[in-house]
Amino acid sequence: MSAGTAPRRGGFGRLLRAEWTKFRTVRGWVLGLAVAPLVIVTLGLVSASGSHTSCGGPYDVCPAVPVGPGGEAVDDKFYFVHKPLTGDGSITARVSSMTGHIRKPDVTPGVRNEVDGVVPWAKAGVIVKDGTRQGSTYAATMVTGGHGVRMQYDFTGDMAGRPGGVSKDSPRWLRLTRSGEELTGYESADGRHWTVVGTARLAGLPDTVQVGLFVASPGDLTVQQADFGGSIQAVRFTEAIAVFDQVALEGRTSGGAWERDDIGVTLEPDGAPHHPGGFAQSGDTYTVTGVGDIGPTGEGQRIESTLSGLPAGLIVVIVAAVMFVTAEYRRGLIRTSLLAGPRRGRVLAAKATVIGTVTFVAGLAAAGIAVVVGTRILRSNGNPVLPVSTLTELRVIAGVAALLAVAAVLAFALGALFRNSAAAVTVAVAVIVVPHVLATTSVLPLGAAQWLLRLTPAAGFAVQQSIPEYPHVLAYYAPSAGYYPLAPWAGLSVLCAYAALALGLAVVRIRRRDA
Amino acid sequence: MRRHLSAEWTKLRTLPGIGWLLLAVVTLTPAASAAAAAVVSCPPAGCAYDVPKLSLMGVQAGQAVVAILAVLAVTGEYGTGLVRTTFTAMPRRVTVLTAKAAVLTGVTLSAATGAVLASVLAGRLILAGNGFVPEHGQPLLSLADGPTLRAATGSVLYLALIALLSLGVAVAVRDSAIAMGIVFGLLYILSALPLMVSDPGLQKLLWQISPMNAGLAVQATTRLSALPLSPWAGLAVLAAWAVAALLCGGLLLRTRDA
Amino acid sequence: MHATIEVHGLRKRFGQTVALDGMSFTVSPGHVTGFVGPNGAGKSTTMRVILGLDAADEGTALVGGRPYRSLRTPLRHVGALLDAAALQPSRTARNHLLWLAHSQGLPAGRVDEVLDQVGLRSAARRRAGGFSLGMRQRLGIAAALLGDPPVLMLDEPVNGLDPEGIVWIRGFLRSLAAQGRAVLVSSHLMSELQDTADHLVVVGRGRVVADTSVADLIAAASRDRVRLRTTARERATTALSQAGATVAVADRDVITVSGLAAERVVAALTAGAVPFSEVAADRATLEEAYLELTRNAVEFRAADAEAGR
Repeated sequence: MSAGTAPRRGGFGRLLRAEWTKFRTVRGWVLGLAVAPLVIVTLGLVSASGSHTSCGGPYDVCPAVPVGPGGEAVDDKFYFVHKPLTGDGSITARVSSMTGHIRKPDVTPGVRNEVDGVVPWAKAGVIVKDGTRQGSTYAATMVTGGHGVRMQYDFTGDMAGRPGGVSKDSPRWLRLTRSGEELTGYESADGRHWTVVGTARLAGLPDTVQVGLFVASPGDLTVQQADFGGSIQAVRFTEAIAVFDQVALEGRTSGGAWERDDIGVTLEPDGAPHHPGGFAQSGDTYTVTGVGDIGPTGEGQRIESTLSGLPAGLIVVIVAAVMFVTAEYRRGLIRTSLLAGPRRGRVLAAKATVIGTVTFVAGLAAAGIAVVVGTRILRSNGNPVLPVSTLTELRVIAGVAALLAVAAVLAFALGALFRNSAAAVTVAVAVIVVPHVLATTSVLPLGAAQWLLRLTPAAGFAVQQSIPEYPHVLAYYAPSAGYYPLAPWAGLSVLCAYAALALGLAVVRIRRRDA
Repeated sequence: MRRHLSAEWTKLRTLPGIGWLLLAVVTLTPAASAAAAAVVSCPPAGCAYDVPKLSLMGVQAGQAVVAILAVLAVTGEYGTGLVRTTFTAMPRRVTVLTAKAAVLTGVTLSAATGAVLASVLAGRLILAGNGFVPEHGQPLLSLADGPTLRAATGSVLYLALIALLSLGVAVAVRDSAIAMGIVFGLLYILSALPLMVSDPGLQKLLWQISPMNAGLAVQATTRLSALPLSPWAGLAVLAAWAVAALLCGGLLLRTRDA
Repeated sequence: MHATIEVHGLRKRFGQTVALDGMSFTVSPGHVTGFVGPNGAGKSTTMRVILGLDAADEGTALVGGRPYRSLRTPLRHVGALLDAAALQPSRTARNHLLWLAHSQGLPAGRVDEVLDQVGLRSAARRRAGGFSLGMRQRLGIAAALLGDPPVLMLDEPVNGLDPEGIVWIRGFLRSLAAQGRAVLVSSHLMSELQDTADHLVVVGRGRVVADTSVADLIAAASRDRVRLRTTARERATTALSQAGATVAVADRDVITVSGLAAERVVAALTAGAVPFSEVAADRATLEEAYLELTRNAVEFRAADAEAGR
């Protein structure tokens, strides 16, 4: 068996070596693949250094974005009514009303247009949190404006309970119990029959935590087409007002009064809070008003924004890859190649391997420099860059290199299929680059843009998305905002499938046709 | 010059695949326009679409085919060595380029006219079915309307200028793969560049010098004041690109060995 | 108006390589002029400069007394065949000639005439890409004849032709010269020109090595050598050396004698009683004369190197 395969391997190895020699000895091809990383790095760094953010104020420094326990940038802004709890214990409360206000676009310019209402992800409920620092670990059971009862923890965790809202006639009991690091959320319609919403383990939760009531209401999002292409997103003020009663605490809590904190509230220049929350107590009934959200945020620059040169670099790679094969046909070199390696499919496979590998290496260098250096430039210009794990950063860099390599193989296969450079370059650019440009510049309706990025080879661009989509956070999850409809590796697989298909067709064609 | 024109015309009409390419311009453009028109609808409350621009959306697809046509008209000669025969028969190279440009312009103009008329017709029929009717505040698409006529005429000229731009690039680089790469870069990448910068002044400037953004301004019929360039000024930017490419190509053609 | 090509002092370099180094010659009407030299001697470059395709760094090349690029209808002055493969493969033979005819203001009827002349009438509406090399050469010659020019210039027209095609093209070129045209034919093999050319321009390393008629060239190379067939090689050598001749062995029983006229050779042999069966004045072949001339000018001894640049 091994004796049978060894010479065949050797045969392919020789083909690879021959194709590599062929590649590196043509100045134009080497130059083409040197230009691609240069374009990617240059455009990336130029756009990074042209990007500045300033927040005004005496030092013109933007406040640091809070970071959650998982390392992601988070919003942590809510009204918190709390007491310390030491050791195990629980909190129970009944929510009997949830109302609010939403600011809509002004009808008459300058006149505030506010309507009554609650946004779907407005939250009110009970919470256990490691102190009042923004970004600290927490777990909460809550009712929401439009998504029923939820249990959420550590910003990214979200579990659904029963759907439906609350009213005076159908209030909702919520309970959160702490046992060590384990938090369990319950809900009940009558205060007697309880169902578990979910359980969360909060690593490193200290012995003494803050337990209490909270209300938050994320801004209302409107999206508009911008004049130069792109979209303008506007987030408008909303607030939620929840009424709690039958509040009960178990465990070692301080017997004193409730402490009140408007966590994360922004201050006006004169020191007054901007859009403050509030708390009112009348007997055993508590009315809490909250603004803001508790959850991961996508606000800010991403590491992949340093890859703005990618489409241009892709075009260069496509041109080089197409020429790698069409030049052979034009000069009749293909006949020499096929004489040297009569098994035509393998010749093609060897060429594809060489162009793919070379592009991957060039792409790795390009993406590595652009992302690492570009992110530094962005940060030094005062831009908040959304933090990601090292693994994610590596995935973005290696993924972009793979995107370039697979795109090169696809372009190469199209070149072998059409034997005509102009047609091959056009088709490759039209299926890889143009759909991405169309989808991300939002000249297309959102649905069409998302379908383009699912069905065309441009789906591979998904591999550069570093910030995931969170179903429990309201945001404009559109390609123009950097959110792809497919998961990173799934998107790349679509591109791979196209490349494999094209390569397969090219092999069939080269076997059947005369050279 | 008449002989040059006649020779280039014979050459172009016997160019391999020319029939298919022209057919592609005339069919792909209205097909893409129809697809764009099919996905939008106008509710009775009215809508804010730029209807003529919407029905001419296919020009963005058609321009790719026009670019191939122009590039192949040049690189087909370089790839085979035919260019030496051409310059042996017609040693005045700039005159040859002028004749080629003239013939190509003529052919593109006629194909583009067909493509644009078909797009407008498709847009009128499909959009009327999607609620773009006078009762919803949207008059039917008609070339009798001044701005619509300007958008349509401008689109025809736009395609011809794209052909000239591609021709100039192809003469300068002599290789179809590189020429197509540069043309697509100039069109699609430059058009997306304004979105990658945050400075509004730079954004506006990049928009103004992008041949595709500026050139397609000629299709706009609503909110003209919001555009960084007036429709005809935008088309003039594209024309400047085409002239620059042709000058560059012509200069290289004169000085370089064939 | 001169029906000639005049090349004067052409110089051209490609980077480090000197392609033309003072190339000068003229081609006169009524003859087939062979343009011959080893690969890389500058033949193709000279032709490209004459046709205005390449620009020389120095020197002039005139066709009918005028620079090529100033001619309004150049194909009526010069017909050229540079590279028979320089076609767009999908265009038919007739369409290829048709656009050329239009470029010179010639009627379409002229296309059919030249197609007849080169024997391609039946293939006129076939794609040129499917032509054999011989058919492409014929199509290239048809293009050269299109303007009925007084001057014809053909670069390696025999390359790749079958024997029948070679015979055809030789006769064809001679008949064109007989009509009073100037015909310049390049080749890197002298034997190809032996029966065709009347006049030779021999080049090496970018300049003219010899510009002479075929008869003169052979005479010069032969000088006064005598071929002698004898069974007594050694005795003959001794006798002739004593008479003051230089002797070289050419074959088993053949020696060549130089420095002594034929009658003196006979006298010397008779005096020494050396037996011999044949004495003849030795005429060098054209090939030998050519090798003699270009020995120093051969840059690429491996004949594979591509001609031209």
